[in-house]
Amino acid sequence: MSAAPAVGIVLVSHSAELAQGAAHLAGQVSGGTVTIIAAGGTDEGDLGTSAAKVTRGLRLADSGAGVVVLPDLGSAVLTVRAVLEDHGGQSVLLADAPFVEGAVAATVTAAAGGDIKAVAAAAEEARHARKL
Amino acid sequence: MPASYEQQITLAGDLHARPAGALAVAAGRFASAVSVTADGRTADAKSVLGVMGLGATSGQHVTVSAAGPDAPEAVAALITILSEATKVGG
Repeated sequence: MSAAPAVGIVLVSHSAELAQGAAHLAGQVSGGTVTIIAAGGTDEGDLGTSAAKVTRGLRLADSGAGVVVLPDLGSAVLTVRAVLEDHGGQSVLLADAPFVEGAVAATVTAAAGGDIKAVAAAAEEARHARKL
Repeated sequence: MPASYEQQITLAGDLHARPAGALAVAAGRFASAVSVTADGRTADAKSVLGVMGLGATSGQHVTVSAAGPDAPEAVAALITILSEATKVGG
């Protein structure tokens, strides 16, 4: 089962550090077998999102099984949607999910061999998970 | 009716994020439905957030249950992970 490519994950945050930290955490929890690309901050390194970073992330994360994208806040969705309009054909799902929990749940499901729909569903179900 | 199996283990350490992740990744590879029960609460073993939400700690008794075509293998694999991964924490 490990021979099949895993779904890739792109974490789009307004903060480069937040995206990198979430990617690190999700990679550690899931055992490091899934490609997780952090696409955070603007091209200048400020707070914001970058179409160029998202585009690069989609390319790097896709190993043939598709990519699930998680935005941190609503306005990151605008950047992702604009990129996706220019990149038709690639198998990409945008998940409406809490950023940290969604990243961890999606990555674990991808590591277990889940397909792109299962990975996106795991991220979206994260909003119902209780911590206490 | 699918075969159902379960086994209990006493945790050697707390069920932190990384052991919970290892458990959920392994559980997700089985076709059977697999659950983890600790202190009267049950989580889907394939849901890392559900497993972490159990808040299971060292010394607690945890039961792994599975129902489906590969239930015995699933229970054995998850018990092994629980016995090894909870020793390292994280």
